[in-house]
Amino acid sequence: MSDYKSVQVNKGRGGWGGPLTITPSTDRPLIASITGGGIHPVAQRIADLTGGEAFDGFKSSAPFDKIAVAVIDCGGTARVGVYPMKKVKTVDVHATSPAGPLAQFITEELFVSGVKPEDVQEA
Amino acid sequence: MTTDGSTTVYESAVTQVGGQVAAFLDHGLLIFFGAGSPAELHDMSVLHEASIVDDGPRPGDTVHVGATALEVLAVGDVVRDNLINLGHLDLKADGRTDANLPGDVCVRVGELPLLTVGDTFRITRPDQQARRQT
Repeated sequence: MSDYKSVQVNKGRGGWGGPLTITPSTDRPLIASITGGGIHPVAQRIADLTGGEAFDGFKSSAPFDKIAVAVIDCGGTARVGVYPMKKVKTVDVHATSPAGPLAQFITEELFVSGVKPEDVQEA
Repeated sequence: MTTDGSTTVYESAVTQVGGQVAAFLDHGLLIFFGAGSPAELHDMSVLHEASIVDDGPRPGDTVHVGATALEVLAVGDVVRDNLINLGHLDLKADGRTDANLPGDVCVRVGELPLLTVGDTFRITRPDQQARRQT
């Protein structure tokens, strides 16, 4: 029933990490937007291109193992580490680099930053 | 709200203190999130419910964390949006006068207090008149 597609997410200007390939699945359908003010345009674009389900992390809660990718607008300390620590692929719309108490978990395989909607491409 | 020559631009009450908060204090870091934030952030955060949300901090403001008053030395570019939209703030006791990361609010090097439920988190700004007199 589900027909998910893959996207490649590249780092934006001044960004770090990636590229990440995001492919939702029946087990991990959610494109989680852990940002202020609803679904971020980057999360919406990933959802539109992959067929994943855009999800507002500040409105309701989802288990980590349902999240295909977490889109954050983190200023560099907290959210940048929480999702990579749980092995959840993470896209920061701000151009941050690994830092903060969880920096050890932030790797190029799990994290990409400085991402704008045009940095999300069909794979 | 104006008292004693300063205006409160943000005020909230602590509703929960995550299990990792004390460990982060050892790194000079205190993380706040609004009470409605995703569960995965709760362990590392002080959760709070705001009653005054007029502005984010600026250099020269005072952040009151429980009974501790700290002068704001530097503020990153995304701090205001984070605080107003998400109740999120990263307080760093790093003594920097230019924020290292866009989410940082920098205060003097030194201990940060471990908050408890019911404590107040407040940001006050010196009134313009008071500032001119000094």
